[in-house]
Amino acid sequence: MSQDKAEKNPEIIGFACSYCTFKASEMAGSLRLKYPDGVKLVQVPCSSRVDPAFVIKAIFEGADGVFVAGCHPGDCHFIKGNYFTRRKIAALKEMFDAFSMNDKLRLFWVSAAEARRFVEKVTGMYNEIKERKNVRKEN
Amino acid sequence: MKTGIFICHCGHNIKHTVDVKKLSAYFRKISGVTVSEDYAFVCSEPGQDLIKESIEKHDLNRVVVASCTPGLHGELFKDVLRKSNLNPFLLRRVSIREHCSWVGDDIEENTEKARRLILSALYGASHYVPLEEKVVDVTKSALIIGGGVSGLSAATFLSRMGMHVYLVEKEAELGGHVRSLKNVWPIGQDGSTIVANMVKDLESSENVEIFTSATIESFVGFFGNYEAMLKTPAGETKIIVGGVVAAIGFSPFDPRLKPELNYGKDERIVTTLEFEQSKDILVLPEKPRIAILHCVGSRDEQIGKAYCSRVCCINALRVGDAIKDKYKDSYVESFYMDVRAHPKGGEEFYEDTQEKGVLFTRSNIAEIIPTPKGLIIRGEDTLFGETFEREFDLAVLSIGMSSPEDSKLIASLLKITLDKDKFFLEAHIKLRPFDTAVKGILIAGSCSGPKDVEESINHGRASALKLYAFLNLGYAIVDPFVSSVDPKRCSGCRMCETACVANAIKFNEEKRVVHVEEAACMGCGLCNATCPSSAISLRGYVDAIIDDEIGALLEAI
Repeated sequence: MSQDKAEKNPEIIGFACSYCTFKASEMAGSLRLKYPDGVKLVQVPCSSRVDPAFVIKAIFEGADGVFVAGCHPGDCHFIKGNYFTRRKIAALKEMFDAFSMNDKLRLFWVSAAEARRFVEKVTGMYNEIKERKNVRKEN
Repeated sequence: MKTGIFICHCGHNIKHTVDVKKLSAYFRKISGVTVSEDYAFVCSEPGQDLIKESIEKHDLNRVVVASCTPGLHGELFKDVLRKSNLNPFLLRRVSIREHCSWVGDDIEENTEKARRLILSALYGASHYVPLEEKVVDVTKSALIIGGGVSGLSAATFLSRMGMHVYLVEKEAELGGHVRSLKNVWPIGQDGSTIVANMVKDLESSENVEIFTSATIESFVGFFGNYEAMLKTPAGETKIIVGGVVAAIGFSPFDPRLKPELNYGKDERIVTTLEFEQSKDILVLPEKPRIAILHCVGSRDEQIGKAYCSRVCCINALRVGDAIKDKYKDSYVESFYMDVRAHPKGGEEFYEDTQEKGVLFTRSNIAEIIPTPKGLIIRGEDTLFGETFEREFDLAVLSIGMSSPEDSKLIASLLKITLDKDKFFLEAHIKLRPFDTAVKGILIAGSCSGPKDVEESINHGRASALKLYAFLNLGYAIVDPFVSSVDPKRCSGCRMCETACVANAIKFNEEKRVVHVEEAACMGCGLCNATCPSSAISLRGYVDAIIDDEIGALLEAI
């Protein structure tokens, strides 16, 4: 990959829960829905497995954006794992805010059946980050 | 590290959009990779043999299969490892089909993404340790929640097959809604007779315990060994079951939620259920004028019931049919949106009722206004596009099925999920319509969506058959992905204990450290992410694995 291309295309790391969002991403593939190849997933058993340290690590190592995605509130396979995720990510977002990088972290809920929603969410995030990145580059 | 990487072409599926040859050549040069091959169909027998031979020849200790999604053929590849005397948890699957070749069109970009995904799997797998699959005994007994027709048919089947069955019904009598039906379409039989026959069948079986007026207080455990506490009139009873069939039925829609219909304020406005129970004692004039309203509580987004309840059209037709049989000179008008006379013979029955003289008006009903003389029905004729007002002596509301009252309670007890209409959610609506996401917990009957009597019985029996197949094995393999505590690092802050939903973490007062009860651990990893001193790790998803996967995906290693 050329240097120029690497600069323009954001790298996004997503933490996807095995029971919902990872399933949705598999279904998105089966339905041949297209989304940017910069989006790459790390499978976790539950979104609550995501230690804020993982998010920070991903940013430190060059990710332009990180998302954590799990089942809708109330639908967690582990009953209320995603409520813990929500709290944790909310706290992390405050920290990101302090460094003016709140656009780099997102939390969203995608159920196993919502392949289209998955694609919409990740594409939306990718495009927004890409736009900002290119604006920054021009300045 | 001796890793074998096997990249599947999946025929044309992967090969056409990912340069597999380039990938396998690339990974041959990576340290720690002993074998890197691409093959047309890794899941085929020659493909499996290729893995097996490579493991034996090169003494591999990690296997990475880059192919379709891990959900597909998961057990197949694990078996290949088992047959080669390698621990099946040293296998890593990468889905380069669903995550690369099918989501992008550019072969160069796809190849790059696939390379990084395989790289992350390679680094992640380097931290894998052999895990022991736990084989647990399965109790050959089942808990059936709900004594309606689907619960009864499930219980009868299971007990006949030799399983011990506990049937829990919250009402005092078995039979659910069917018991109160006077004329079950199309056989014309009394619902209570059908139920009585089913109960007789069940009671004639030896290994059945029926608890009526009983509720479930608590429900814990895992597949094969669930423990439930029942509250019965005789006191509390603890039962151990291998699996569950939840068949808690439905709640009839309450027309009071549509106040414009004035249901409950005038006794001339009744539901189909009430009409059926009281049609013989109903006092009507000699030439009665009767209105039948379809879709009350179905296909109505304003009240959050966008779905079709399937059975209410037939119920509405039966009302018209019954009135025409009793009063030849009656005026019966049915206000419908579409008639979905869905079960076998329904369409013919629809035509019969039309021939008998029931009028069908395609319309939206605005309101029912009770007056001393009669009920005025105001609405819009959607075929003519004009409004109308007509007077009737009786209005029958064909009510739909709503999710069962207890669905939320039972779902949280059993740890299963609800769909947007608060019915129980199937694991897969087409491929696994009886299962839930939890192994050994099945659903039957109208608690997973509106069903008629016949479908409910079928659904009950099918779920029972499925549960029987699970339980009859007598053992179950449990995923070993549970948490473990390093007591040396544990500071005894007990934050994990508060976080653990499964109550699997226990505090040792004497040593001031926690430990995990593996049997209860669900493997979510919340404790792992919560522990401030990194003393807890979730097997198979330890911090090092995820850290290295992130690093490899971003090429920072």
